[in-house]
Amino acid sequence: MLRDKWRKGQGLSQPQAAAVLLFPFLAVYAAFLIYPFFMGVWISLHDWNLLAVAFNPGAKEFIGTENYVRTLWGRNIEWGLFASPVMQTVGVLGIGLAFLGYRQGRLTRATALAIGIAGALFVLLPGFYPGEDGRWYDRRFWPTVGNTILFVGLAVPGVTITALILAAALDGETRAKAILRTIFFLSQVLSVTVVTLIWQIMFSPRQGLIANVTEALGGSPIVWLTDQQFAMAAIVITTVWWSLGIAMILFLAGIQDISKDIYEAAAIDDARGIKAFWYITLPNLKRTITLVVVLQIILHFQVFGQSHLMTQGGPNDSTQVLVRYIYQTAFRDSELGKASAMAVFLFVIMGAFSLVQFVVGREED
Amino acid sequence: MKHLLIGTALGAMAVTGVSAQEVSLGRFFGACEDAGTDTTTSTGEACIIQSIINAADAELDGITVNTLPTDWGNYYDQIIAAYAGGEPPDIHVMHRHRVPQFAGLGALAELSGDLEAAGIDVSDWAPAALDAVSYNGGIYGVPMDFHANLWHVNMEIMAEAGLVNDDGTPILPSSPAELMEHAAMVEAATGHDYLAADFAQFPIGVRLVLSLMWQQGENIFTDDGTATIDTQAARNAVTTITQLFDAGHANPQLNYADSQQAFLNGEAAILVNGTWVVDFYNAEAANPDVALSDYYVADFPTLFAEGATWADSHMWAIPASVQRDDPETYAAALQVLAFINEHNIDWARTGHMAVRNSVLASEDYAGLPHRDEYTGTADIARDTPAAENYGAIQDVLNRELQAIWLTGKSIDDALSDAELEVQDLLDG
Repeated sequence: MLRDKWRKGQGLSQPQAAAVLLFPFLAVYAAFLIYPFFMGVWISLHDWNLLAVAFNPGAKEFIGTENYVRTLWGRNIEWGLFASPVMQTVGVLGIGLAFLGYRQGRLTRATALAIGIAGALFVLLPGFYPGEDGRWYDRRFWPTVGNTILFVGLAVPGVTITALILAAALDGETRAKAILRTIFFLSQVLSVTVVTLIWQIMFSPRQGLIANVTEALGGSPIVWLTDQQFAMAAIVITTVWWSLGIAMILFLAGIQDISKDIYEAAAIDDARGIKAFWYITLPNLKRTITLVVVLQIILHFQVFGQSHLMTQGGPNDSTQVLVRYIYQTAFRDSELGKASAMAVFLFVIMGAFSLVQFVVGREED
Repeated sequence: MKHLLIGTALGAMAVTGVSAQEVSLGRFFGACEDAGTDTTTSTGEACIIQSIINAADAELDGITVNTLPTDWGNYYDQIIAAYAGGEPPDIHVMHRHRVPQFAGLGALAELSGDLEAAGIDVSDWAPAALDAVSYNGGIYGVPMDFHANLWHVNMEIMAEAGLVNDDGTPILPSSPAELMEHAAMVEAATGHDYLAADFAQFPIGVRLVLSLMWQQGENIFTDDGTATIDTQAARNAVTTITQLFDAGHANPQLNYADSQQAFLNGEAAILVNGTWVVDFYNAEAANPDVALSDYYVADFPTLFAEGATWADSHMWAIPASVQRDDPETYAAALQVLAFINEHNIDWARTGHMAVRNSVLASEDYAGLPHRDEYTGTADIARDTPAAENYGAIQDVLNRELQAIWLTGKSIDDALSDAELEVQDLLDG
């Protein structure tokens, strides 16, 4: 009787069953994500020295938002429309593009809004500068944010475009393509230490493959990792090589979802090869591309190992990125409060991109 | 009472020799897989220290020593995180300049009352060694060495440039102007760079500038915590180095491995690096496949008013929590420290200076390769200034100096920026 009832699912109401099934996940999620997150926010409101608090739990002091002020703000900070002309012009262009695109119906409302907000931030944020006798309290923070954005700005298109081209080229059932797909995916399974070791050797001006090729061609080798012009490029190249795999697999899945009928119909109209790729594959992959781009943005904002192991953030901080700065502040300088404030800032940035993905994703449904 | 407990524990271990007491050990110096237990034949820091640890593990009854995997570049971050998590290694190596940071918080065990019982004779330590491990009147570690920057010299290049004295020693500069003259002579005679060092990543450039500031009687900050970096002395020190870059007598873009390779390949007359590589370069010079063949070690030359070179000390410490909560592990840890202290002569084989008077006076020590060439270093060795966050201060200096020679930032801007940031760090 009871078994029958059980079998019919009458023992528990649907919400009860859901609660039981969800409980293990929610417990783990709360213990390892929700609690640490709010703990992080709580720590960010304190003057909290990692070592001092470990030896004397009372050694922390509640200071409200001072860590945020010390990190993000400065003395006599002013705002001007021409303080950072290049970034601000890009911002104005972004706003214009969003507006025009929406008016002409080329952009959906959410996309236009996202580009518009990003543009507004580009106009607003770089406009702040220290006025007379002024200074940023933390002179490294904003340049570090700038480096991180530059890294994301180079790595994300790099990974997306390369992965897309590879996926288009390697879609098919021949043995060679299958082998090549495996080879291109292999780099993804390596850990960051192995990847950076491989590329440090590749970039070495003395033993490196790149230097040897350059010399064989009669050029003088580039000192990639300690030259300000090339250090960021070097870690971007490493990152593209490393993180191609997942993006390529996602694109391959997306391409295989496109009906072959469309290609056949297009072929009748003489659209083959690159034309087919441009007019059929790309438009049909729009959602996959959005997904890959947003995932990559969130992933690459968290870049750490490449910068930490290959360039140590140098030369002259040109490859210093946000997570490395958080790490140094927390573990080298023991300033856990300030590091947590920076981490909350990073969370807000990544949260914003997740939101964009969520909104864009919903709209397309 | 505490001493009695430790004494009893030590005695019990000596008598029974059974209950294997595991001691975890954290260190940098790099990995050496096949170090063995022969402490007298290993070469290089990593293998010498690991052979001593392996020998302690094998020879000390009832004690097993477990070397934890740590990474050199992130060593202190790992140690700090381990302390913060309440699980520091039972013994760990550290630098003298970190003592204020760790001992100031009460992280390290105060050992003065227990060293003698463990067989460590404090009176045998050189005064500077005792000083290195002392903080506010207590002893917070067992010193292992003094290390300092040296000039590693390729005598073949020096001879070609006519920079060798009649007694076979190299002629080294005594002023920044002479440094340039010698560099030009090397260039004219051989086409090689005069000087190589890691100016690009590891803070050897910082140590060079510090030495040259000390040689002028100045420092990067005062005892009362005022940064003094935007000064004429700092400008003099920096331009002494940048003049070499500007004239093409040195390459600022080489990192540690590349600068070392340049020296071993016979592409630079001088390499500025520490005592820790003397035995390694000596071994390399004996290798017919390596271009460097006539290797000499010189004290850091005096280019300004007084002699000075950057120096520091390696030492071994035990966490306060081990001393307080775990007397058996503490007793075992002290035995391991005593063993390392006993093997000071083996560690000195790296090229480091020994800390025990009995070792310093021994014939074995005097007979170590090149040892007689840098005896003056002990007198000119200067410590990095004591600051709780010296790691962050050194990073600021390293960044701003790199900005000068790698990215063309003006010396004035870099020094004034460095002074501002170091002042922020000193102000906390």
